[in-house]
Amino acid sequence: MDMKKYKLFSVNLKKEENWIQSIIEQGYRLKRKSPWSACYEFEPSEEKNFIPIVRIDYRLFKKREEFEDYIMMFEDSGWKHIGGTKNSGCQYFEKSKKDASEDIFSDQSSKAERYKRISNNWLSIMIAYLPIVIVFISTGIFKIDSFFHLKELYYTPGLWELSGFSFWRAFLFETPFALMRGFSGWLFIAMIFLYGLFGLKALYWYHKEKKLNDNIHH
Amino acid sequence: MNLEKFLPLTETTYYILIALLEEGHGYHIMQKVEELSNNRVRIAAGTMYGAIENLLRQNLISAVPSDDKRRKVYKITEEGRDVLKLESNRLRFLVEVANQNGL
Repeated sequence: MDMKKYKLFSVNLKKEENWIQSIIEQGYRLKRKSPWSACYEFEPSEEKNFIPIVRIDYRLFKKREEFEDYIMMFEDSGWKHIGGTKNSGCQYFEKSKKDASEDIFSDQSSKAERYKRISNNWLSIMIAYLPIVIVFISTGIFKIDSFFHLKELYYTPGLWELSGFSFWRAFLFETPFALMRGFSGWLFIAMIFLYGLFGLKALYWYHKEKKLNDNIHH
Repeated sequence: MNLEKFLPLTETTYYILIALLEEGHGYHIMQKVEELSNNRVRIAAGTMYGAIENLLRQNLISAVPSDDKRRKVYKITEEGRDVLKLESNRLRFLVEVANQNGL
């Protein structure tokens, strides 16, 4: 029986690999990872003599040919591509030949570079959003002080003079629009904050893995 | 261009450049390096892909046209050859110093 599991990981690839491996060790193999959601599809493994290892790389591709060339190099060397698209970032590989390498990276620094690419990706999205938000706030399209003027978000004339049923009806009808008016700016700010957080988290893991490399060599 | 800035090469880069004296795609390079190093240096796919990307950016190798539609084929450039010569001379000198000191 196939088994679907949902788990959300932000930027820690090692943690994600370890989690996948812990399911695999219960006698499964990873069949598919959806590029759109946090859904992992496992199926019972028929392999009796070796445990199918899964490793994750992080790359985005500009051209279709580049993506195909990338996948071919992994498949040639015994690592089957089981998840990820040209633009999804995370690329999942399963060791498909017994004599293939134990990992998709043969040195610690290229392994650490994954986090550098994740970080660059999030931080560049953040930087792309930043000017838009600054312009919207400074021109007053986004009102960030709405918390203190909640009543002003409602445009229905005479709303606050109504009472009873007619008040609640008009009030609740307009509430979704009022929330959009007042807090869409905050939504953008929250997104920017989140992109920045992911970017910095990935940068932290990059330096941590890189340091691991230095410790091995000195 | 000052090619000295590329030195010293890592062992992996040195082997990749030697392998690309003849043109080949990624997996060719991996096999060739294994063979050249008597199975001592094994480059995994993810590391190989990043190494090719860096060498292309540094202009030490370049992509060449090929019949294989699904795999890109690479070859060493003139700069790449010059860097390889500089590095080989540096290594020969080191070995010479070692010899002179009875090692």
